[in-house]
Amino acid sequence: MPGAAREVRISMLQKTQDLERPVPKESMNAGTVPRGTFLGFLSPAVVTLAAIGIAPLAFAIWTSMRDYNLTRLQRTPFVGLENYATVLTDSVFWDAMGRTFTLLIIALPVQIAAGLGIALILHRPGLTFLKTIARLSLVIPMATTYAVVGLLGQIMFNLKYGVVNQLLGFIGITPVNWIGDPTNAFAAIVFWDVWQWTPFCALVFLAGLTTVPGEIEEAARLETKSWWTVLRYVQLPFLVPGLTAVLILRTADTLKQFDMVFTMTRGGPGSSTELISLLIQRIGFRAFDQGLASAQAMILLVITIVLSRLYIHFFYREV
Amino acid sequence: MSMKSTIKRLTGGAALALALSPVTAFAWSLEEAAQPYAGTTVDVVFLLRPGYEAAKKMLPEFEEKTGIKVNVTDMPYENALGEQVRDFVANGDFDIALVDLVWIGNFAENEWIVPAEKFINDPALADPDLDLEDFFPLVLDAFGSWGGTLYGLPFDNYSGLLFYNQCMLEEAGFDGPPETWGELKDEYGPALTKDGKYAFALQSKRNETQSADSFARVLWPFGGSFLDDEFRSNLLSEESQAGLKFRQDLMQYMPEDIVAYDHAEAVNALAQGDVAMITEWSSFYSTLKDPETSTIGDCLAVAPEPEGPAGRKPALGGFSLAVASQADENEQAAAWLFIQWVTSKENAAEYLELGGVPARQSVYKMEGVAEKYDFVPALVESWQEGVPEFRPRFAEWPEITEIVQEWGTKMMLGEVSTEEGAKQIGDRMEAVLEEAGYYDGEKPLVQ
Amino acid sequence: MREHTTSTPSLATQVVLLAAIILFCLFPFYWMVLTSLKTQIVALQTPPAWIFDVTFSNYYEVLFENAVARSLVNSLVVAVSTTFLAILLGTPAAYALARFEFRGKRELWFWFITNRMVSPIVLALPFFLIVRSFDMLDTHIVLILIYLTFNLPIVIWICTDQFRSIPREIDEAAILEGASQWRIFFSLCLPLAAPGIAVSAIFSFIFSWNELMYALVLTRNVAKTAPAVAVSFMEGYSLPYGKIMATSTLIVVPVIIFALIASKQLVRGLTMGAVK
Repeated sequence: MPGAAREVRISMLQKTQDLERPVPKESMNAGTVPRGTFLGFLSPAVVTLAAIGIAPLAFAIWTSMRDYNLTRLQRTPFVGLENYATVLTDSVFWDAMGRTFTLLIIALPVQIAAGLGIALILHRPGLTFLKTIARLSLVIPMATTYAVVGLLGQIMFNLKYGVVNQLLGFIGITPVNWIGDPTNAFAAIVFWDVWQWTPFCALVFLAGLTTVPGEIEEAARLETKSWWTVLRYVQLPFLVPGLTAVLILRTADTLKQFDMVFTMTRGGPGSSTELISLLIQRIGFRAFDQGLASAQAMILLVITIVLSRLYIHFFYREV
Repeated sequence: MSMKSTIKRLTGGAALALALSPVTAFAWSLEEAAQPYAGTTVDVVFLLRPGYEAAKKMLPEFEEKTGIKVNVTDMPYENALGEQVRDFVANGDFDIALVDLVWIGNFAENEWIVPAEKFINDPALADPDLDLEDFFPLVLDAFGSWGGTLYGLPFDNYSGLLFYNQCMLEEAGFDGPPETWGELKDEYGPALTKDGKYAFALQSKRNETQSADSFARVLWPFGGSFLDDEFRSNLLSEESQAGLKFRQDLMQYMPEDIVAYDHAEAVNALAQGDVAMITEWSSFYSTLKDPETSTIGDCLAVAPEPEGPAGRKPALGGFSLAVASQADENEQAAAWLFIQWVTSKENAAEYLELGGVPARQSVYKMEGVAEKYDFVPALVESWQEGVPEFRPRFAEWPEITEIVQEWGTKMMLGEVSTEEGAKQIGDRMEAVLEEAGYYDGEKPLVQ
Repeated sequence: MREHTTSTPSLATQVVLLAAIILFCLFPFYWMVLTSLKTQIVALQTPPAWIFDVTFSNYYEVLFENAVARSLVNSLVVAVSTTFLAILLGTPAAYALARFEFRGKRELWFWFITNRMVSPIVLALPFFLIVRSFDMLDTHIVLILIYLTFNLPIVIWICTDQFRSIPREIDEAAILEGASQWRIFFSLCLPLAAPGIAVSAIFSFIFSWNELMYALVLTRNVAKTAPAVAVSFMEGYSLPYGKIMATSTLIVVPVIIFALIASKQLVRGLTMGAVK
């Protein structure tokens, strides 16, 4: 059995823990570099980001504790945590949150599984030309402007003049009412999310696969015929950092998801595609209740941060 | 009520001012009035709609005559309110406010726009030919004024009309359009819905279209309304419910994705011959007539909207232009000159010719106009009677319309009953009004 | 050649799968370009047309009548500048995070990453009011700076991992020879981290080029970027799909070309810290 593979796995394991593992004391640390050098490296980025990011965030926290409606700025009384209480007990907010996580829970596994599959195919030798084309094609969905994806969705998924229904017609499926039906509209959004971000996962995994030293992979393949064993014990350790990155980025981006849905369905029909960002935009920019919207946004931010922490905690440490 | 007297007072004031300065009265010309402001730039938001395209084509003439530069920012309707509110809050650049009739309460109460009185009473700025009484009174009242004060002059003006495909109707054995909503549903509906075609399309997308074009449209003709006299929700009243239930019923004769229809989809459905009738704004006439955007050609016909048990009460919508308070004195004067000029009696014919819909009564009485533009008789009839508060125009509308849009579409999708939906809208609407202070006497009950 | 495993898909299966992947990725793009060549009536025709009289008038109109050309230039100026700044500020910070040991390092790293997660919806209005008070609305510089809030984190994230994968022995040997940290950074590590830098630059560019929310709120005419213009055609009043898709094509093609050129780097640099 794959004794060799297992040893390989263990040695790889140590390397992937690099982020966690403290640097040995005798190597460089802040003590050995002059303070000026150390600050010189770090401070430009820290100062810039702090200068740009902190003031607006502080302002948002400030408004979240006031009755702050843009069309009633004559009086913006301090209301403490009332906005937060309103948000936390508002079913509309939690429905939108639920929809956002539904999107994440459906789309993300598909993206990861399909992305991994694509990466594994592309990683195999042979068919070089076709694989180069495929690799290049993967770039296109990723690079497409999100707002444009939504506009494209409006045209392609239209009940009457949409090409999706035409294509489905070729295989005998009767026209589907995509954008006018709550469930189908949500499905259309899942489709675009998968279309746009599966390639990203594929490229990240492909990059991870290329870091597996060739001789180790070869040795493992001599040991076992099962691609699953190779994947699980040899390749997976190299894929974990990428997987963590995908989880964090996709989670954050799904919680931020706005452009595509806004241009395709504007959250409709009904509320079926009203994700959390669309709700916040609606409250803050259309109903002008900036106080409530800020409170919603703060809660969203806390949820995002907690989730990212969890990912890093579990994946960077435990694998 | 108060509007008539306001106009009298204003025109009286202007006349008095003119009488006191006879020299200017005789000599008033745009060129001279604009002289002190040559070189001034005024900023304004325009939409991507026919009336604005028309005004843009007229702009060079104004700029040449006055030396005033009009700086136009194009924007889709759905962004225009947010953009202007942010600009006014931040004391920004816009010198002219583009005011949808449902925004006027909001803009006026925040004092973001200047009462027109200031300029009408200034003999140096007021065109002696301003003639406020020439505007359709309903339109001037609804689009331009709030709480008895005139702010803006009607610029981009709509009434709901029934556009229909005459050929399809004739084929089905009808020699004219339906007179009532009941007829439309019970006779035209079944006869015209077949072979993948539909009798009717009521644009109902979840944005202002849902509240203005769909929800409110079935409320009023059936005797319903948003609010009762005490400003409590009237949506559960028998009449309002009748209207909302009628809409549910009518949906069987509409395309199945009707809740995804915005104006463009409804107009396109008629233009491609897929539906027989739509109720749409007057300004779509040019799109539906143009062979580049419409395939139905001479089959297009126009009528007033059908009547309901409570009368016609067609949809009413449109925009006025008002001077923004944040502009300095020079910009305000220049802005007024532009507003006055672009909505003037003198320019109404040109504006109409270029694709705009002026609100001047005189232009529609001109010879040949009614013949050349098929929609004119229906439009003039629609503007005779109407409900200014078709959608309440108070400051809270932006919040309330969001509620109506959400639950209105849910109702249509059958996710909630009309009663449950009306209750949800009612409760949430009353909460907004409560907070605004209507119920404790803080705010007068004006809509 | 040796048969690798029993479960290796046959060549034919592989070809079919690859073809499916390519089709899946390319079809929407193809449809976008196709629609951009249609007149209004053809674009809205049922069933959709695959063969029709091609028109280029949509491109002509958006380029010369609707100021799309200028907005593309704006997008380019903003995306290139912010990417450059992000690399300039981000790589030294990433190097410090990878090489120096100090208290609160993990916290600092996480704070950088957190900035990437803040939804623009949270900050758009505060930004608007602040920028307005400096009288800097509708300027390129504002977008360039604000885009740093999501570009700097990406650069720092990817490059920290890249620097970490460079063996420390290299640095240590250089130190023994008396090289300064800056010298080591510039002459030794920066070139070795090139793939990571390239990837983070690609992502910075793509994210900035495609950004919509801030662009909508903070620009109006002068600095309006291409995505903001594309959405502005979306007046519910008419659906000039030909024009919308022509604009979309003009927006998407440059970034795709850029991404294609750099796609080799993409695979080399996206290892997210997996160690070679």
